[in-house]
Amino acid sequence: MAVPLSQMFTVTKYVLTQKLKGVKRYPLVLMLEPLFRCNLACAGCGKIQYPDHVLDKRLTPEQCWAAAEECGAPIVSIPGGEPLIHPEMPEIVRGLIARKKYVYLCTNAILLERKLDEYTPSKYLTFSVHMDGLKEEHDRAVCRDGVYETAVRAIKAALKRGFRVTTNTTLFDDANPERVRAFFDEMMKLGVEGMMISPGYSYQKAPDQQHFLKRHRTRELFSKILGNRKPGWRFNQSPLFLEFLMGKREYQCTPWGNPTYNIFGWQRPCYLLQDGYARTFRELMEETDWERYGAGRNEKCADCMVHCGYEASAVEDTFSSWSGLSRTVKATLLPNAR
Amino acid sequence: MTDAKYHTPEDQTLQGRVFRPSSTTELREAIEQAFDYRGDVALELTSGETVVGYVFNRDANGAVPALELFPKDLPGVRKIAYADVVSIAFTGEDTASGKSWEAWVAKKESQRRAESEQVAAAARARGHL
Repeated sequence: MAVPLSQMFTVTKYVLTQKLKGVKRYPLVLMLEPLFRCNLACAGCGKIQYPDHVLDKRLTPEQCWAAAEECGAPIVSIPGGEPLIHPEMPEIVRGLIARKKYVYLCTNAILLERKLDEYTPSKYLTFSVHMDGLKEEHDRAVCRDGVYETAVRAIKAALKRGFRVTTNTTLFDDANPERVRAFFDEMMKLGVEGMMISPGYSYQKAPDQQHFLKRHRTRELFSKILGNRKPGWRFNQSPLFLEFLMGKREYQCTPWGNPTYNIFGWQRPCYLLQDGYARTFRELMEETDWERYGAGRNEKCADCMVHCGYEASAVEDTFSSWSGLSRTVKATLLPNAR
Repeated sequence: MTDAKYHTPEDQTLQGRVFRPSSTTELREAIEQAFDYRGDVALELTSGETVVGYVFNRDANGAVPALELFPKDLPGVRKIAYADVVSIAFTGEDTASGKSWEAWVAKKESQRRAESEQVAAAARARGHL
């Protein structure tokens, strides 16, 4: 795992504390969406299809900090929309860092290079750059030429200034395993701390409805991509989650593991589905019928294998028993073992 | 009811349609459609008022079933009881229509055809075709 020791320690301490307290459902990562406005319109994204007056709404820094405190998760991921469009994003990030949250600031990197002056390198701050493959694949995924080159320049600039940088990759059924592996090589060559990968979710509102992955195809694809893994590849994800993607192990979804807060409130049940909103985090956790969601329980979840639901399942597996911990150690040290 | 079916096929949009429910069941279904719609709607209320905005939440099982809406031209959130809704018109653009993807694909295909034609023309000029 490509994560600083301090972050690993913080997360481990947090999870073990929840276990010792007997907390059945606890959040690992707060998905904080301060805005939906974006400067791209990706084919597989269902996050930005709103009227203009909704796209113009923003969470305030105070709302963001309150959500982080209410939730209590040690990690805060800030997806979008495009977070760097938010004029108060530097302040939001500073406030989260002051609260000792590990922040993953997601971005398509179009604005990143020119915005770097507004941020200070910190072990708590990671720029998570949306990169869906090599140039041809990425520009196609984001529906705009030149974005790949812009992102690469921004990654180099951020790394040069001492920022933590990861990539975040969503794959669809047209992904070419060899090209994806070559992409991993390229990102490691760039010097990013680690990579995050996930199959795309079948957003009903996404423009492209033809290329979402079915479960069996996800397993086939990720087995080809992650099989015979190169030693130089570093993933910022649980190794058990990667094995889940490859079909080596089964998990049920843990939707409460990555609760989402945005301009509408606390989103039920997860980052991907929009089945209503709760006014408070407590209401979300206590008054959501969690048993209605997950593969085999809800048709909208049937093909989902996305990290925001299953990464938490993998972490839960790791910390639930000695055998889980053992599996994680083995998967970390021997990723290519059968 | 203006329309016989509430559930629009995936290749069709609700934009421009009007639902005037005649029962509680129809009302609930219409509000579900409004909640799922990615554009503004116009709600005619029993008071005679018309409220235009984006429906982002609904609670059909609460003590008083209600929806929540961002008014188009006003700040804040408006909460409206189901029982107060007379009709729902899908007036705003369906922002999930996928035009951006279609436009980009069409542009790329056009560019590729143009490039192909250029290459072919150059080859013909050299006598290779």
